[in-house]
Amino acid sequence: MLKFDQLTKRRGAATILSDVSFEARPGRVTGFLGPNGAGKSSTLRILLGLDRPTSGTALLDGVPFAELRDPLRRVGAVLDGSGAHRARTGRAHLKWIAAAGGIPRGRVDEVLAEVGLSEAAGKRVGGYSLGMGRRLALAAALLGDPEVLVLDEPVNGLDPEGIRWIRGFLRERAGDGRTVLLSSHLMGELSETVDDVVVINGGRIVAQGTLAEVVGEHRNLENAFFALTAGAVR
Amino acid sequence: MRAYRGELRKLVSLPSVWAAVAVGVLVPATLTFLNAKSAVAAGRGGNADIGFQELAFGVVGAVILGVVAVSSEYTTEGESAGGGRQIITSLTAVPSRRRLLIAKLTAVITAIATLAAVSSAITLMTVEALLDEGAGVSGLGRLPGVVLYWVLTALLASGLTLLTRNGILPLTVLILNTSVVTVTYLLAKLTPLAVFFPDLAGIRMFVKRVDLPVQLAPVTGGLVMTAWVAALLAAGFLVFRGRDA
Repeated sequence: MLKFDQLTKRRGAATILSDVSFEARPGRVTGFLGPNGAGKSSTLRILLGLDRPTSGTALLDGVPFAELRDPLRRVGAVLDGSGAHRARTGRAHLKWIAAAGGIPRGRVDEVLAEVGLSEAAGKRVGGYSLGMGRRLALAAALLGDPEVLVLDEPVNGLDPEGIRWIRGFLRERAGDGRTVLLSSHLMGELSETVDDVVVINGGRIVAQGTLAEVVGEHRNLENAFFALTAGAVR
Repeated sequence: MRAYRGELRKLVSLPSVWAAVAVGVLVPATLTFLNAKSAVAAGRGGNADIGFQELAFGVVGAVILGVVAVSSEYTTEGESAGGGRQIITSLTAVPSRRRLLIAKLTAVITAIATLAAVSSAITLMTVEALLDEGAGVSGLGRLPGVVLYWVLTALLASGLTLLTRNGILPLTVLILNTSVVTVTYLLAKLTPLAVFFPDLAGIRMFVKRVDLPVQLAPVTGGLVMTAWVAALLAAGFLVFRGRDA
């Protein structure tokens, strides 16, 4: 289980996050929803130990990410872009990650096939489309067959077929009892995929609960979202 | 150990690392070949430093490798590709920054020590083949000095790049100073203190005759350079550890 507890992050005079608390539970897809600049990426970056919170904690089963012994087998993360250097081939990128994470090299071709990149594996990442880069990032996240998946805007850059595919894929993962946390600013993409919803706006959590609870009396998630975030900063 | 293997794989799969290797091998070998040929043509023998002076230039290869090992982590993919950077991936695979940095620097040391040894062998064999009186194989005792100089220069480059997170400034400063205008050498004309710059101190480990106001002993030179590198790496580590990735 992922547990965010009273996360606050200030950068200079700006408050990026204030008092962010929520959980993402096993067997469920949790959608982390908010407009651009609301603090979604900052929250996920703190979870992964990339950024430091001013106060508060983000823990996986009670342990900070940076202290995990086998991080790739515990958490798969998809953040910005492909996360790969442009001059390397997709396969070379996955191979160094596997080596660094103590994962058998055979997994590299497995995950390449899983995300549909087998044919492009020998090409340099610089020649990939945005969608291919995202698939490569997902392949890297899957290398350790982790129990938790954290994805920042996973549908960005994917074509409609890719979006459909990733929805099914994430549902399947949650069905296996894994924890899936994904952020998005696209409401329509989320409502068909998520079980739980956390809405953030201006660095604060403005709603959280099951999809039905958050939608409440609104017609759909999108209407609920705009009602919740109306009149806020930006 | 895993983190180290990951870093080695990163190095061997990066084209700019192979460019650095090519520079590190070809520059000193070619310069030595040309200098030895012209010495033969002029009827002069070699001097005690032929081959070694050229290896001091070849350190450009070590500079490039030391810089790109770090700067490649921070190269952005560009807006259209999602603006990602490899450092994010590196830190999710090896979350401890201390462990990641030690692994990276150890991989750089491994690569540069190998490169320096191979390049020195080729250069000194060139001297041996063309000249009777050059240092050639009889200069083998100075080889550890060459290897150490290359390794320390690469680490210096990595340390600087940790501070800048971009390869352009360290590459420009270090390559220009090594090849086109040796600013540190010119400063030595103004103040004897300049002999304590890392490059001028370091070459004393293997170049016998230098036109400098103060002649440091090889061991002293090595220690001075090591102190610079240690200070830069310490600063680089503190910044790397403290900063949001």
